Amino acid sequence: MDALIAKLKTQIIEQLNLEGVAPDDIDADSPLFGEGLGLDSIDALELIVLLEKNYGLKIENPAEGKKIFSTIRSIAEYITANGKA
Amino acid sequence: MKAYIRGIGNISPQKTFTKEEFLENVVSYNNNNMLFCIDPVYKEYINPLQLRRMSRTLRMGVTAAKICLQDSGVEMPDAVITGTGFGCIEDTEKFLLALLHNNEQQLTPTAFMQSTHNTISGQVAIMLKCKEYNSTYVNRGFSFETALLDSLMLIEEKNAHNVLLGGFDENTLNLHATTSRLGHWKKENINSLELLNSKTPGSVSGEGAAFFMLTDKPDENNYALLKGLSMLYKPENKSEVEQHLSNFLKSNNLSPNNIDLVVYGINGDVRTDHVYYHLRDTLFSENAGAYFKHLCGDYYTASAFALWLSANAIKKQVIPEAVKLGKAPSGDLKNILIVNHYRDINYSFMLVSQC
Repeated sequence: MDALIAKLKTQIIEQLNLEGVAPDDIDADSPLFGEGLGLDSIDALELIVLLEKNYGLKIENPAEGKKIFSTIRSIAEYITANGKA
Repeated sequence: MKAYIRGIGNISPQKTFTKEEFLENVVSYNNNNMLFCIDPVYKEYINPLQLRRMSRTLRMGVTAAKICLQDSGVEMPDAVITGTGFGCIEDTEKFLLALLHNNEQQLTPTAFMQSTHNTISGQVAIMLKCKEYNSTYVNRGFSFETALLDSLMLIEEKNAHNVLLGGFDENTLNLHATTSRLGHWKKENINSLELLNSKTPGSVSGEGAAFFMLTDKPDENNYALLKGLSMLYKPENKSEVEQHLSNFLKSNNLSPNNIDLVVYGINGDVRTDHVYYHLRDTLFSENAGAYFKHLCGDYYTASAFALWLSANAIKKQVIPEAVKLGKAPSGDLKNILIVNHYRDINYSFMLVSQC
């Protein structure tokens, strides 16, 4: 799990172009949207594409997405639960 | 039609984003005939949260607009008008390449939504919460000129007192490669500062983002008075250009004798520079000259760089050594004429005068 979380942090920094943010700056349990990293709806779309492209996972239920993308850890757990880690 | 230039922000391949410097230390490029802008520290101008999503040209444009706004002291313009030839071409390339490589699947929204030509004027309006007139002109070599014309008309008709006017285009490796195949750029690699001596076909590609605050209010802090603008599309020969230019000066109650400096858009292309040399030998044989495309490269909206150069020259009463062409002016710089053309197709003439 820790390796996956570290990998996700790097991928998210790259995909969302989070300049000046290092993987260690991101708390795996902090909220990604609103507080924490302060991501917005466009970032949510970028994250959906990231999961599909890198892990072959499609999120089609918006309600499910809100839960999955709440923190880095929740994303990692979703990937692991779906056997894509 | 006329307007005063109250403020300026210019990001270019030279260090033009500070008011203190005026081409005292120019940068030469020896990079396959490509010039790229010198970046200011963008974080000093744009919120990091917004910055991370912005492409290079968006950063350049928004920052140039911010510098211009700060310089002018105008907090809220009555209009935002820009001109661009290719718009945000890097984002367009990024989106199209993703479309191609991913077989039209898994496309992300950021590059697509920022690939439009009016992204910069829109972003500036959002940043300022400016809900006034907002327009972007995409007319190839007349893009900046058309934006300027619209600005002057708004001011003339008293529909606006302060207009934020911008011209921008960016250079990319793909764009350079594509337009190289069309013969736009030199085949041999040259040092950009040697452009004037290069008597071969093609020029060097460049880029820039320049913003101007145009106003109807006279003020001692204004840079200059923009007195006239004229455009000529695809003239048949040099005589037509000469005639058009003579008429333009007459319509402003001026003759070549009244012009203290002529700023030519000489771009080192032997196929088209002869028009400038013809005008220099005929109408302006007694006038001081200057040129600028060795500093910024050639691109659709390069005339915005010339306007920055002229407005500063008038205000500071200085012609930088790096742009001088031939004799020096005999007295004060009262009237500067910009003569520019893009690939012998889009000719434009601007008259910049002391306030």
